[in-house]
Order: sequence, then C-alpha cells, then structure tokens
Amino acid sequence: MLDLTTQDWTAIALSLRIAVVATLVTLPFGIAIALLLARKDFWGKSLVDALVHLPLVLPPVVTGYLLLIVLGRRAPVGAFLADHFGIVFSFRWTGAVISCGVMAFPLMVRAIRLSIEAIDRRLEDAAATLGANSAWRFATVTLPLALPGIIAGAMLAFARALGEFGATITFVSNIPGETQTISAAIYTLTQVPGGDAAALQLVVIAVVISLAALVASEWLARRATARLHGA
Amino acid sequence: MRTRLVAILVLLVTLAAAPSAAAQDGVTVFAAASLRNALDRVNAAFSRTTGIRVTASYAASSALAKQIVQGAPAEVYVSANLKWMDFLEQEKLLVPGSRIDLLGNTLVLIAPQTSGYDKVDIRQGFNIAMLAGDGRIAVSDTRSVPAGLYAKAALQSLGVWRAAEPKLAQAENVRATLAYVARGETPIGIVYFTDAKVEPKVKIIGTFPPGSHPPIIYPAAAVAGSRHPNVTRYLHFLQTPAARTIFERFGFRFLTPPKAS
Repeated sequence: MLDLTTQDWTAIALSLRIAVVATLVTLPFGIAIALLLARKDFWGKSLVDALVHLPLVLPPVVTGYLLLIVLGRRAPVGAFLADHFGIVFSFRWTGAVISCGVMAFPLMVRAIRLSIEAIDRRLEDAAATLGANSAWRFATVTLPLALPGIIAGAMLAFARALGEFGATITFVSNIPGETQTISAAIYTLTQVPGGDAAALQLVVIAVVISLAALVASEWLARRATARLHGA
Repeated sequence: MRTRLVAILVLLVTLAAAPSAAAQDGVTVFAAASLRNALDRVNAAFSRTTGIRVTASYAASSALAKQIVQGAPAEVYVSANLKWMDFLEQEKLLVPGSRIDLLGNTLVLIAPQTSGYDKVDIRQGFNIAMLAGDGRIAVSDTRSVPAGLYAKAALQSLGVWRAAEPKLAQAENVRATLAYVARGETPIGIVYFTDAKVEPKVKIIGTFPPGSHPPIIYPAAAVAGSRHPNVTRYLHFLQTPAARTIFERFGFRFLTPPKAS
C-alpha cells in the first residue's frame, strides 16, 4: 500500500528529529522570554516583543535569507563560528534546527506567556511568605502552574517546526539526509513530472503525523490541567 | 458617501480588468533558468522590432514542463535539454512542426572568485572530492534539472560519481547552483559556461570534455493552443542574425542555420 523509498523514510525521520530538537532547544529560551514579557516592565520591552513576533509576520523566505546573511558560511557570525568552533550551519541539519526553531519561537512564547499571565500571583506571594526564594518559587509554583501553557507552546512549536519550509529551504537548502524534511521532499517531488504519486503518499504521512501531534498535545494539556485542579 | 464608494469600486474593477486586456496581444515564454540574461535581451529586441510584448518565466526546465502539463498558459517553451521537450511532445502538448534545436552550451566547473583554486584538469578520475574538501559540490537536482542531469552524466563517465555523490548540494535550478558558489557556500560547483559568464563573483576553473555528457542542446517549440501569428513571429525572430548576435555574446552556441530577418 505504501510505496516509499528510503529517501522518503529519511525525510520523515529527519523532519521528526529536527522538530523535536528545535522544540527542546527553544523551550528554555521560550520560557525565559515569556516570563520576562509577562512579569517585567523595562525600557525597550515593546521592541523585544516585536522582535520575538517578527518571524511570525515576516515572509518565511525573508527570515531564511536573514539567517543566511548572518549565519551563512561566509557571513559575519557564521564565519566566526566556523573558524573558531568548527560549527557550520550551511547544508547541515543543525541549520535546519535553527530555522525551524526561529520560526516556531513566537508561537511558543505567546502560549507560555498567556499561561504565566493567568497565574494567580497570590499563590506565589503565599510561597514567599513561607520563606521560598524566587528560584524556588519559580520551580515549585510558577512552572507547574504554567505547565498546560508550556505543553501547548511546545506542541505548537513542534507542529510549526515540523511543517517549516520557506526559511529552511532558503537557509540550508534541500539536501537529502541532512536538510530535506517532509515538506522539502514533497516540494521536490512536485517539481518533477511523474512525482505526484510519491508526493501524495508523503502528504498523507505528514497529515497523520500532524494529527497525532495535535491529539497528543490535547491529551497532555488536559492531564496537566486535571492534575492542577483535581488531585 | 454611497456614490463615492460605488465610484471607488468601479475604479478597482476597471483596474483589475485592464492588465488582462493588455496580456492578450503578447507572447508568454517559459524558458530554462540559464537563459535568463540572454533571452531578456532577445525579448527586448523582439518587442522593439515588432511591438509585441513578451512575458518570460524562467525556472528549471523540468519544473516548467510540469507546469505546462498542468495547463500553465505558456506559448513558447525553451528547454535546456531534449528530455523535457520530448516529454511534452509525447504528451501532445507541442504544435507539430514548430520544434527547432536552437542553442548549445558547455558545462564548466566553477569556484568563488576569491577561491585559491586556479586551473583544474578535468579528466578521467580527477580528484573532485579533494577539491570539495569538507564542503560540498553545488549542482542542480541530478534527478530532473538538465544542468544536474548533464553534471551527473559527466561525473559518471569520468569515473568520479561515487566520490562526488555524498558531497553534492543539489539546488532546484542552475541559477540557484550558481548562487551557492557566488555566496561562497560551496567551494566548487557545476554550471553552464553562460551562467559563469554573467556572475562576476565566480570564476571558471575547468571545462568538462564535451564527450563526457550528452550534447547540451536547447530546443524551442510552440506550445499547443498558443496564438499562432505572434508565436510564429517570435520563434522566427529567435533564429535571426540579430538574436544570434545576442546569444553568442552571452556565450551560447547557435545551432540553427540563421534565417533572414
């Protein structure tokens, strides 16, 4: 029934790997920035807010191109990283992780920020009066209360990273085994006469994976909320 | 207030209708990406001489063939290899008898202008892996794009495909391949001679022996369903000495016997 080549399976595995790594890598930054935007007021706050949301409104290809001129092999930051640390993003899956992470970041921050803002500050104040310092309060009160939002943010980011195409193909192009994700594989197949059957199969798989991710996130979020309010 | 709104709507509708009226008496050309600079000049010359507007869409010949099969409104198709023209012919999408072999080209090895590489002797078993180093070799998609198909054929016949294949960075058309090398993303790349000529940021470090790949031929033809008089004039113009001068200036070889203007 499913007649996929090894290259197709590689694309699927690569998409999942890149999406998972991108989500995990951006999660600490997402929580930190969400906390900052939700709790602190500082000069330049609206600028930070705008920068965080920039990948959401810029055309993905533009974001990819910006990454290219900053992190490309001959670009300022990219050349520095390559020469001093041996870190290269061009045509590597690590570059794909960066582009997917950047595109997914605003969605993650929004979801987490909303849930942090919804936390009853009095619970944290109560913990403070009982002697908890800010780090302890964050770990034992804020974080668990924000968990449904963090899970939602992470799943949104995962789904966005899984489907990311424009920025990735502009930044790290389309190398089978390294940067050819499901979207890029489908795109390549649609560019060739006769590739439609194979493209359709990949499309079905992409839909199944995305649905599975959505169902899983719903279930996780509901469990987290139940534990907060129930037990 | 109401009349103002109606006036604006009428204006918008007229504006929306206008461009499609103008497109009626033009020629729509789908051409291989490598033809961009040269064909733009030829099209401008054609418009100046005949007053007929030309709209050109440049992409990989394979992608264009796919679009034509799906019903894209192309009237003339110029491919970078015979394969995709044959494909359209089999699908009965060409005007019978309109097909001509127009241009020829050469396959070259390029490097960024700042590269330390100078002259590479491209022959049987040449060490392409060493030239790539820990970087990649920029080529066009070797499964469908003409420049990639020629490159793969050349690398195979020279006995270096096994060494080169894992190091390939495949782009979706030959100009994207050119851009990789121009930006210094890859240390070497394989494009047409005519592409290297228009990009000052790359230099040619070697030429592939013509016998190492199928002859590079650009066929041109009218797409079935095109408007007859304009298209015939256009295809005729492509074969005149005026067009020939332009194509040869960009480095193409002119294959058809030139027709009188």
